[in-house]
Amino acid sequence: MGQQYAARLAGALRSKYQCAAWLVSLPLVLAACGGQSIVLMADPGGHVGQAEVVTAAGKQRLEKSGDMTQTSGEAKPPSAVKTADPAYIASTFAEVLAIEPPPPQVFTLMFESGTTNLTTASLDQIPNIVAASQKRPAVSVRISGHTDATGSDKVNDALSQERAMQVWNLLQQKGIPARLMSVTSHGKGNPAIPTPDGVAEPRNRRVVVIVH
Amino acid sequence: MKIISRWFFIALLPIASAFAESSETVGHIQTLQGQAFIQRAGTTLPAAIGAELRKSDQIRTGKPAAVGIVLTDDTTISLGSNSELSLSDYAFEPKQSKFALSLKMIKGTFSYITGQIVKLSPDSARIQTPDATIAVRGTKLLVEIKD
Repeated sequence: MGQQYAARLAGALRSKYQCAAWLVSLPLVLAACGGQSIVLMADPGGHVGQAEVVTAAGKQRLEKSGDMTQTSGEAKPPSAVKTADPAYIASTFAEVLAIEPPPPQVFTLMFESGTTNLTTASLDQIPNIVAASQKRPAVSVRISGHTDATGSDKVNDALSQERAMQVWNLLQQKGIPARLMSVTSHGKGNPAIPTPDGVAEPRNRRVVVIVH
Repeated sequence: MKIISRWFFIALLPIASAFAESSETVGHIQTLQGQAFIQRAGTTLPAAIGAELRKSDQIRTGKPAAVGIVLTDDTTISLGSNSELSLSDYAFEPKQSKFALSLKMIKGTFSYITGQIVKLSPDSARIQTPDATIAVRGTKLLVEIKD
């Protein structure tokens, strides 16, 4: 029992010592023990967006890749933005970056006008989708029907739902297990090309299959 | 023999239910190293690749361990060792213009890549850490929360 206590005490002291060692050996990083660090990065497509970090006492905006701010309690504002040390990123986030799931494979399928028949080019994509799901192997295959912003929502939604179901049927026939697949209709709510209401855009009338 | 097979079946139920996709599914576990757990309504499920996730699930990793999660809007969240995340709120129904994403990063290391909710309705998404709220527009974040 005494041995356990001694081991725990040694562990606590060691982590405190490690904490102090960080502060001494990496003055540029100023890693606050018990604090939080937030770093902005480019997404897999290379795009850098922005983030705003807000505590009860203030906020900081991150705008460039590598921008970092740190917090140490909600009663203090986030620290002034600085550039994260690449060595800090590499060592702290190594596990997290290694486990990141790969980006999904996205397939866009088009139909003969007003029908639930895939165009020839899109029919040719079906085996590619099946192959992709088997190669990954997929944890989910999401099929979503989409419309453009013209005509009756009700008619459009019904058609996009039927089209998505048609794709589901084909994929199931070709061997993708039903338990992996889900079918939804996004109506006009998730366009490929945003348009105002009432504007026709055939490229929005599609079924999208996302393989994760 | 009958009794053994019944208990075997019952023992498999938590594992089977971890894979069953329902309208409550908000995402899946896509990558996994080591041990991780899903805490849901007072039960603890072992995480496995392909397991579905639901709103209010809490995901916890062991040490060493790491897990990669993908939500139904393509939001991607990765956790390193000894990390804890709560999927506090989630809704992705573009047809009804219904969007919500609230993640609580409790401790550990994270990578967060935004998905369609942030693309279509950035104000509907936020990350909560012990000290701060983070609003994000179309990007990737790395977050470290020290104990």
